[in-house]
Amino acid sequence: MTRLRTTPIRAWHGAQRTTRCLARRRGIAASVAVGWAGVALAQDVSAEEAVLRSNLGAEVLILIGSVFLLLAAIGVLRFPDFYTRLHASTKLVTLGGIGIFGGSAIAFSADGATARVLLIAVFYLVTAPLSGYMIARAGYLRGLPPAKEETSVDEWGALGAATEEFEEPVGGANDA
Amino acid sequence: MVIDIALGCLAVAIVLATVRIVRGPTLGDRITGFDFLGVNLAVLVVVVALRTGFTDFLDAALVLSVLGFLSTVALALYLLHGRVMK
Repeated sequence: MTRLRTTPIRAWHGAQRTTRCLARRRGIAASVAVGWAGVALAQDVSAEEAVLRSNLGAEVLILIGSVFLLLAAIGVLRFPDFYTRLHASTKLVTLGGIGIFGGSAIAFSADGATARVLLIAVFYLVTAPLSGYMIARAGYLRGLPPAKEETSVDEWGALGAATEEFEEPVGGANDA
Repeated sequence: MVIDIALGCLAVAIVLATVRIVRGPTLGDRITGFDFLGVNLAVLVVVVALRTGFTDFLDAALVLSVLGFLSTVALALYLLHGRVMK
């Protein structure tokens, strides 16, 4: 008889405790969510207020540039060959640099820093193909092997240009 | 939001370039990875300047790009001749 009476009471208490606990947990979760959203919103507002000011063109350019830099990194890591790795690095990095520097120049136009960003961009656009050319020439003249030997035709060596310009190295630079 | 995505992409790119520098079978692969790493560092500094709104970082990005180019030229000359200067 007592069991029959206490069991519903215990069940009721348990249900009360469960609902209270759930409510507290839900409240904690809600407050955490609200606080996180507030922090994120505050950070976003500060970052946007700093430069971007919801500039859609600058955002799209920066997104394109960063995605192309990521693709270039994947190419540099995954391609089978010195020449293909250099190809991925040089071409995609030029496109990514154009995107990010152009987007930054648009976004910095309110702060008067566009000239500096454009200076970096012009310097970069001049020097990136030059460094790629120098690396490729040095690697070719050192005779770095391609991935498939049957697809390589040594036209420069057949012309005799490589033999007359190339000097014997002094140190042990070739650890291929 | 876009700036955070760009920072994540650049961080992953820098890590992958470092892996290529460590793992590159020849010196040319290492120089390629080093060139890519220098460019990524300059771009990362520009994006950090965008994120913080502190435009003095742009001078640091300019210096980083100049240093990256000069060191790439020096490394390419070392790969070609076995020494940097005549």
